[in-house]
Amino acid sequence: MNAHSHREESFFRKYIWSTDHKIIGLQYGLTALLFLSVGFFLMMVMRWQLAYPETPIPFVGSFFGEDGILLPEIYNSLGAMHGTIMIFLGVVPLAVGAFGNYLVPLQIGAPDMAFPKLNAASYWSYFIGGVIMMGSFFSEEGAARSGWTSYPPLADIEVGQTIWLIGMVFLITSSLLGSMNIITTIVQLRAPGLTWRRLPFFVWTQLVTSFLLVLAFPPLEAAAVLQLMDRVAGTSFFLPSGLVISGEALAVSGGGSPLLWQHLFWFLAHPEVYVLILPAMGIVSEVIANNTRKPLWGYNSLVFSVIFLGFMSFVVWAHHMFLTGMGTAMSSFFQITTMIISIPSVIILSALFISLWGASIRFNTPMLFALAFLPMFGIGGLTGLPLGIAASDIYLHDTYYVIGHFHYVVAPGTIFALFAGIYYWYPKITGRRMNERLGQLHFWPSLLFMNGVFMPMFIQGLAGVSRRLWDGGLEYAHAAGVLQWNEFMSISAWLLGISQIPFIINIFFSLKRGEKVDRNPWEATTLEWVAPSPPLPHINFETLPEVHREAYEYSVPGRNRDFTPQTEPKKG
Amino acid sequence: MKIKLIGTLIVFVLVNFGYSGDVEGKITFDGKAPKMKPLRMDADPVCVANSDIKPRKEWLVLDENYGVKNVLVFIKESKSGSFADNYDSPKEVAILDQNGCVYVPHVLGVMVGQQLDILNSDGTLHNIHALPKVNKEFNKAMPRSKKQMSVTFDKVEAPFKVKCDVHPWMGAFVGVFEHPYFAVTDDSGSYTISGLAPGKYVVEAWHEKLGSKTADLTVDDSGATQNFTFTKPKKK
Repeated sequence: MNAHSHREESFFRKYIWSTDHKIIGLQYGLTALLFLSVGFFLMMVMRWQLAYPETPIPFVGSFFGEDGILLPEIYNSLGAMHGTIMIFLGVVPLAVGAFGNYLVPLQIGAPDMAFPKLNAASYWSYFIGGVIMMGSFFSEEGAARSGWTSYPPLADIEVGQTIWLIGMVFLITSSLLGSMNIITTIVQLRAPGLTWRRLPFFVWTQLVTSFLLVLAFPPLEAAAVLQLMDRVAGTSFFLPSGLVISGEALAVSGGGSPLLWQHLFWFLAHPEVYVLILPAMGIVSEVIANNTRKPLWGYNSLVFSVIFLGFMSFVVWAHHMFLTGMGTAMSSFFQITTMIISIPSVIILSALFISLWGASIRFNTPMLFALAFLPMFGIGGLTGLPLGIAASDIYLHDTYYVIGHFHYVVAPGTIFALFAGIYYWYPKITGRRMNERLGQLHFWPSLLFMNGVFMPMFIQGLAGVSRRLWDGGLEYAHAAGVLQWNEFMSISAWLLGISQIPFIINIFFSLKRGEKVDRNPWEATTLEWVAPSPPLPHINFETLPEVHREAYEYSVPGRNRDFTPQTEPKKG
Repeated sequence: MKIKLIGTLIVFVLVNFGYSGDVEGKITFDGKAPKMKPLRMDADPVCVANSDIKPRKEWLVLDENYGVKNVLVFIKESKSGSFADNYDSPKEVAILDQNGCVYVPHVLGVMVGQQLDILNSDGTLHNIHALPKVNKEFNKAMPRSKKQMSVTFDKVEAPFKVKCDVHPWMGAFVGVFEHPYFAVTDDSGSYTISGLAPGKYVVEAWHEKLGSKTADLTVDDSGATQNFTFTKPKKK
């Protein structure tokens, strides 16, 4: 192992074709942050059109249409690509590719991932998928326009959809390679003494997430290939007989089923929601345990809940399809499973809330983001319940209420947790702490404006405003009473964008000027804090750690410190 | 200078009166005239406000003498080989206007490569969706701020539909030709195709509902006349 670490590597081998999980994690992280910025930028452009319909977009208007006015078809492209980029190129790669890659081997005391080359292949497959997706903007008719859900037969019209599908095949392949690697690593490479019950909760969430990816993505990969065949090879997997588009019979052989796509898509895409949220819960748990200086309340409940959540996430998918007329028996089944799946979610959230009880909380930046995650995810989760019941979903389906709901889960939910994780583990990656003042300057406006963007969506949604209107509802009489919120939400979104500037400055500023810290600046218990900061290339630890304790031994009565690392042997 | 002028005049006279003729005719309908119902535009208040008169459906527009409007009459082929090999695309721009939430004109012929300007004279969102089989389909939104867009067609094509996906009653038909010998009948059902060299041709009259009819045509120095009579197609 040491001989391996002493081998001199070229810059190219070390940072580009790297097989070190930490470098790959950073590659994932930086690429995903870049894509998140692109996705966010698309949204800011869309919000201009919603706030000020048919007025030229300042500064960047010439990219989006003649006279700087955003045309409806381009708005549709931006909407589809915003969702695609944020989910498949931004949040999942950051939550699983970056955090999972960087932290799982460290937290389990492993020198690297089980399959380092597979790990590199996973990143580069993701990278190629991302380039293809971005390239679709420059195709003749622009990027895909059929939403991130790509429902046929509408998705079978535009050329950009073909490129979207090819990109998806690469992205899915990347996720499959990465998740198999994480599962194998956790099962095989845990340090001596690291039993399942001593595993940090973050590792549990990564394990369950990886199982979700491994089991749920193959159907979508198959579906993507089938839809691709429908487009380029004249098949009709998702195209029914007698299909008429725009009054013209479509020249396809028919016999397929558009509903089949919806089933295959949501069979992935609902577990995908948990792929987005479980790593976030894991990160928040680590940060909360550390900054409350208490063990996580109900560790066992958390673990069993996350496993149950993973299992149940495979039997709720059709609650996205109540309007397809699949019948009351099927609807009833999926309503019941949806209500059941809310139970473990509530257990996890409750356990994290109870963990705060009686704690002497350190209100640093990662903790602020972690604390904000709890009510924000709570709002996102609870507003999902009316969507899980067919009777109310029929009214709310495809309105801004849905947009508000899932953005509360993913944006002030998952993304806040990811921010918490970046602030929390930055010292491990760089050996320096991020600037606290800039951190606070990032957090408070972000919290304020995040709610400014998404809270009014519930109001508009309850008023029946459709989520896909290019003009924000201007042409619909029923929307007239709630249109004033469009400008408010858009200004909030732009201010939210400005609020990210301190974060970007902080990342670069702290690289050189951040406070230098030792290997365990937060006085944490888990294994990653035993390694040097940054951990050693390829081997992580000077000597492989041995685990003697559970993950969160904070403030144990009778000890001389308020934390006991997992590596500290038990006396006697 | 004088010689040049006289020469030009002679060529002009020869071309216009000696070696080309106008094909004229009238299209009539034989049968019971159906009543064109008013278009129901209530879905978009802007459309209702923009229409001075209440527009009616346009799938069979007849005058009092049963002359059929909106028939596209064109030379289908030349039997005597008197077509030129190729014709330059005219610089004149063809216009298809969205005005009062109907297309004006309802039927239109253009040449390959000829610029077609699609206008939006209404203060509302239209969606111009062309459904050609040979040329490239396009589907572009025209919000009220977008007053004009220009398209061209690269290939010859029989009349195809152009529709608005926002206002389902809106429909127009465009035929694309390699030559300039086509015309659309006016309110009285009359048409004139000018500048055709003497020779033998096949002329076709196309109507969106009544179908097509063809006739052999001999054009001499004085031109030719070709009338067509359509009947209501039998239900299959």
